[in-house]
Amino acid sequence: MDIFSDLWLGAATAFQPVNLAYGFIGCLLGTAIGVLPGLGPTATIAMLLPITFGLQPEAALIMLAGIFYGAQYGGSTTAILINLPGESSSVVTAIDGYQMARRGRAGAALATAALGSFFAGSVATLLLAVAAPPLAAVALEFGPAEYFSLMVLGLVASVALASGSLLKAFAMIVFGLLLGSVGTDVESGVPRYVFGISQLYDGLNFVAVSMGIFGLCEILRNLENEHERSVGVRKVTGLMLTRDDLRRIRGPVLRGTALGSLLGVLPGGGAMLSSFAAYALEKRVSPNRAEFGKGAIEGVAAPEAANNAGAQTSFIPMLTLGIPGNPVMALMVGAMIIQGITPGPNVISEEPALFWGMIVSMWSGNLMLVILNLPLIGLWVRMLTIPYHLLFPAIIGFCCIGAYSINNSVFDVFIMSGFSVVGFALFKLRFEPAPLLLGFILGPMLEENLRRAMLISQGDPTIFVRSPLSLSLLVVAVLVLGLVLAPSINRKRNEAFTE
Amino acid sequence: MLKIKNGRDFVGGVAMIVVSLLFIWFGRELDVGNSSQMGPGYFPRMLSLLLIGIGVLIIVQALVVASEGEPDETANWKAYALVILAPIVFGLALSRLGLAPTMFLMIVAVSFASKYAGWRQSVALALFMAICSVVLFTRLLSLPVNAFGPWIPFLGN
Repeated sequence: MDIFSDLWLGAATAFQPVNLAYGFIGCLLGTAIGVLPGLGPTATIAMLLPITFGLQPEAALIMLAGIFYGAQYGGSTTAILINLPGESSSVVTAIDGYQMARRGRAGAALATAALGSFFAGSVATLLLAVAAPPLAAVALEFGPAEYFSLMVLGLVASVALASGSLLKAFAMIVFGLLLGSVGTDVESGVPRYVFGISQLYDGLNFVAVSMGIFGLCEILRNLENEHERSVGVRKVTGLMLTRDDLRRIRGPVLRGTALGSLLGVLPGGGAMLSSFAAYALEKRVSPNRAEFGKGAIEGVAAPEAANNAGAQTSFIPMLTLGIPGNPVMALMVGAMIIQGITPGPNVISEEPALFWGMIVSMWSGNLMLVILNLPLIGLWVRMLTIPYHLLFPAIIGFCCIGAYSINNSVFDVFIMSGFSVVGFALFKLRFEPAPLLLGFILGPMLEENLRRAMLISQGDPTIFVRSPLSLSLLVVAVLVLGLVLAPSINRKRNEAFTE
Repeated sequence: MLKIKNGRDFVGGVAMIVVSLLFIWFGRELDVGNSSQMGPGYFPRMLSLLLIGIGVLIIVQALVVASEGEPDETANWKAYALVILAPIVFGLALSRLGLAPTMFLMIVAVSFASKYAGWRQSVALALFMAICSVVLFTRLLSLPVNAFGPWIPFLGN
């Protein structure tokens, strides 16, 4: 099969009116929730996830992808208009975007973000379509040892790319892996850490855990330091870009797209790393570098293109290998499992309509965002003016119902509350929660593959270095680790995160 | 005598060790097996030992490297209590009162976690949320919950 017939198959799925409608609703809801200050993509997706449970797998994943893009775009809008990035991926957008808004160029900044994202999204989607099938074919050759090494690489990389202390990020991964071992042991059927609670036999529910750690915990943090914020921009005008603007953003968008596409594939990479890297690069190479930080349009175009491209290509390892590179992908994996699909190399061959439908819907979702967001910007600005003291009770309300609806059981609501305490304690101790969620999701897979590999080799750990593929994955993991541990790079890394 | 140079990390390291000890203690009955035939206890035990090691390293680091001196944060215990307890109250009341009254009460209560809350706004928001959630979740998405539970006279079922 060649790529055009595949894409055609995808288009046939994605352009079904029902699926288009769900994609549209996903984009709309994702933007509406994502634009609310203090709610990043992870929290937004965790909150909206339960809505998709009742849908067909295709529709559910298309809607989720829509929610994802919407949430991300909504986050950029918040960053530009009120300098309050919802998640780390739009932190750098806020630097120049907010300055542009203060100078009355909010419309141009938003249009740049939208067009840059659309262009980057289109390119990255095409890349995904081209790269996924061969990668999946390679992955089909993977045995337990290779899978184990690949996951180790993913976890190591996610530590390396996290901000803050490496040791603490490692601690979070191990803690996450431990939490993942709660529930019935797959091999022996022995219940572990269930304390006789029947709901725990299936393990801790990851949606409830992430709603607690990312959703409620965020509210606790915001309430701690509560002050009324002011929306500097009440009305956005001048969405059209001038010819000069277009000329200035062309280079940054192209460079951002290339960089983002590349970094997004890395395990542990994705939107955040891409946008930081693109901003740093633009600051070096741009002819208008003096303007950076004072409202340079390049400073909006490059990171926005990069984070969208990175977000898109981070689907590659998830869809082909079944390995999520960041918390958002971890949520997508969870959603696929709930729909009865195990993400991995088999998805392409076993569910071609679903796979290609999702890819095409990524592109159509990006298109919808442009069409949706530019005219509706007035509405989003109005949503921004909702005061936080009215917002957070509603968020808590939806989180409660959302957690309840996972299994129609209040147990998950209690789990959510419990993990808001865990998340808040970790925040107080300055532990990053993202590696924890990654470890939590990968834990069961990691254990299963480790046990199988060791069973095959009869307890000989050299199995992980005897297979060339597994060895090279482990070597890369060690290299990545060595790189971050090297003092000079470590210093640079800290600079990049504090910049 | 060693001096703690980074109190936050010191506590963090201790917390990680406590977490691992809890996992070891509650998993003490699990069969560990051996490396070719790993029992259900093998993986958690290995991870717990690893986490103890990391915890010790974090503590050592906290004794050697000084913290960067972040500003003190003010604790808001009222907000913590309300936000953390709200889902628990929601869970306990849902099957008894039904979705609408539970949502209403929870929203009114939790809104006072903010210092800007006022009775009139809270009640209005709670009413809005109660109606929205009933329409969206019991009518459109048909979750198996009643709008009014058995504890509500006349309306409940």
